[in-house]
Amino acid sequence: MKNIFRGYSAILYKEFLVVLRDPLTLFFMFVPPVIQLIAFGFALDTDVKNLSLVVLDQDRTVESRQIIERFVNTGTFKLKGEVGSPDELSRAIREGKAYVGLDIPPGFTRELHAGRTARVEVVIDGSNSTIAASALNTAIGITFRESILQLLAVTGGRDVPVEVRPQILYNPAMRSPNFFVPGVIGLVLQIATVFATAMSLVRERERGTLEQLLVSPLSRWGLMLGKLTPYLFISVTMAVGLFAAMRWIFHVPIAGSVSALMVAVVFYVFALLSLGLLISTRAQNQMQALQMSMLFILPSVFFSGFIFPRETMPWIFYAVGACLPATYFIELMRAIILRGATLAEFWLNVVVLAGMGLALFSLCAIQFKRKIA
Amino acid sequence: MPAETMIECENLTRRFGHFTAVDHVSLKIAKGSIFGFLGPNGSGKSTVIRMLCGLLEPTEGSARIGGFDVVKQTDEIKSLIGYMSQKFSLYDELTVHENLQFYGRLYGLRGEVLTKRREELIALTHIEPYLNRRASLLSGGWRQRLAMACSLMHHPNVLFLDEPTAGIDPVARRELWDLLFEFSSRGMTLFVTTHYMDEAERCTHVGYIHMSKLVVCGAPDDLKTLPIVNPPGTKRLDITCDHVTTALQVMRHLAGVRAATVFGQSMHLLVEEQLPEQRIREELARAGVPRVDIHPMGPSLEDVFVALTTQNNGGGK
Repeated sequence: MKNIFRGYSAILYKEFLVVLRDPLTLFFMFVPPVIQLIAFGFALDTDVKNLSLVVLDQDRTVESRQIIERFVNTGTFKLKGEVGSPDELSRAIREGKAYVGLDIPPGFTRELHAGRTARVEVVIDGSNSTIAASALNTAIGITFRESILQLLAVTGGRDVPVEVRPQILYNPAMRSPNFFVPGVIGLVLQIATVFATAMSLVRERERGTLEQLLVSPLSRWGLMLGKLTPYLFISVTMAVGLFAAMRWIFHVPIAGSVSALMVAVVFYVFALLSLGLLISTRAQNQMQALQMSMLFILPSVFFSGFIFPRETMPWIFYAVGACLPATYFIELMRAIILRGATLAEFWLNVVVLAGMGLALFSLCAIQFKRKIA
Repeated sequence: MPAETMIECENLTRRFGHFTAVDHVSLKIAKGSIFGFLGPNGSGKSTVIRMLCGLLEPTEGSARIGGFDVVKQTDEIKSLIGYMSQKFSLYDELTVHENLQFYGRLYGLRGEVLTKRREELIALTHIEPYLNRRASLLSGGWRQRLAMACSLMHHPNVLFLDEPTAGIDPVARRELWDLLFEFSSRGMTLFVTTHYMDEAERCTHVGYIHMSKLVVCGAPDDLKTLPIVNPPGTKRLDITCDHVTTALQVMRHLAGVRAATVFGQSMHLLVEEQLPEQRIREELARAGVPRVDIHPMGPSLEDVFVALTTQNNGGGK
């Protein structure tokens, strides 16, 4: 058999020129991913801080002011102002002016000094369960601490009987960008790459240039590889840009090796570009290609473990996730970037990504018909 | 003189589901000829070309180009043929020079050979002034020349052109034909589909396909002597006069006139031989058309195709 990649260099030459000359393709490859990264990165922030707080201080003593200060000092709450009555407090929450209301009843200090339980009322807007839970935990923490200090003063003890010494590994500040941004990079890369190749053969079909290629001695493998290579270069360049944004805009440190990161990117992008090509061999026009790409991209957002942990999913969605390259890539990204893992420790992810890439690429070349219609 | 056969097909048939696009077409085209392939839209012209180029597999029948089977020996066929599709498919983002370079490389030309061939085709098509222009910015005529140059980069022996002159201005059209004659004189075989009768007249051989069937095939002059075109006891007349449309109505109602068609300032008539010219003059004079010029004439290719189509449709109109 002759060279199975016959015509590869000609396609490569043409494809590079076409891609670099088409400002729209370049624009859509580079600009949306960066915007998506920044938008997703800033929007997906589950760190709860600066929740607006209104206070109804009916006691007006040193002690009551002290407890308000404790709330504000955690950083979770931000004092929005004082209200004059319980009604006003409820209204502030209903109107969305505050998430949390702190109501200190009259006689708070009196009860405290008398050794009876002094009550503080905390009113929380439960519409957003995450925020509500966080506010509640903080409020409980503050009052527990306050109670223990009071008890210690009474018993004359000096130390807290039991204390937690937390040691949070890999993301000690528990910043959510550290968790989300590597995942966002996986998704953003996927959108750009799948679309890029999904359109490429379809466009030739629509323009009629595909017929011209088919009457030439070009081989299927040469055609596919020639179409894929330029986008591989562009996507890897794009990934470098995204990592730079992650490092310097979102201040996510890269614990592992950068070269491991790039190896993972190359395998992942190859699989996605092949998937795009496969769509391209099937779709008859650009609209179909777009819809087929979306069909694949949407599940990746939900089932890849990007936001929701896969372990808690019903088995069917867990299985869907197992078929998506994004699942393996995002896991790998978090391991390398956050935990400094090596490729050897995650060899299975690398093998799966490489296997998916080779399988998809072979599939496009094999099932691509050298005939029209 | 018996020339070597370049393109040959036997009972070539293609069905799409229940629709038969090409129905048992058999052809023989000699090396160096310009074969004009005519037929209405949707009659199967492009389907035949696509089968011959190996883009579409025949449902039935076989075809050979230069002795190679188009289905089994596609590799040999590919280097033998060039194909210029209907849309002059070029890469709009590439310049003229880059398009040539790309098609050359696609066919495996490299280095010196590629450069030499490129220069030859640039000289032949006179496209030199536009070398660095993007293909998207070329006019129709230049696009077509570039498309042709691209399809010729690999020195094909046979060139298929699917409606090469559709939407092109008359000057460009004439220049393209000059090029085609030049190629033909160098031994290249050309297979051209067209809608223009004047282009068909220039071909060495023509084929006419109607409703998926090849109705006729041969040299234009031979076709014009077919009995169906020249029914016994009839003659063709060319009549030049004023008020042609009035005259046409008169002639159509005159006994002995089988067919009448307007061609600009004149009419073409198919009349029975015994109808005297004097009778025609009298009728026209009565209708207010006094000055009339009558000349005998032979059938045109259009007459040939009209006669054959009418017969094929069952004789009715």
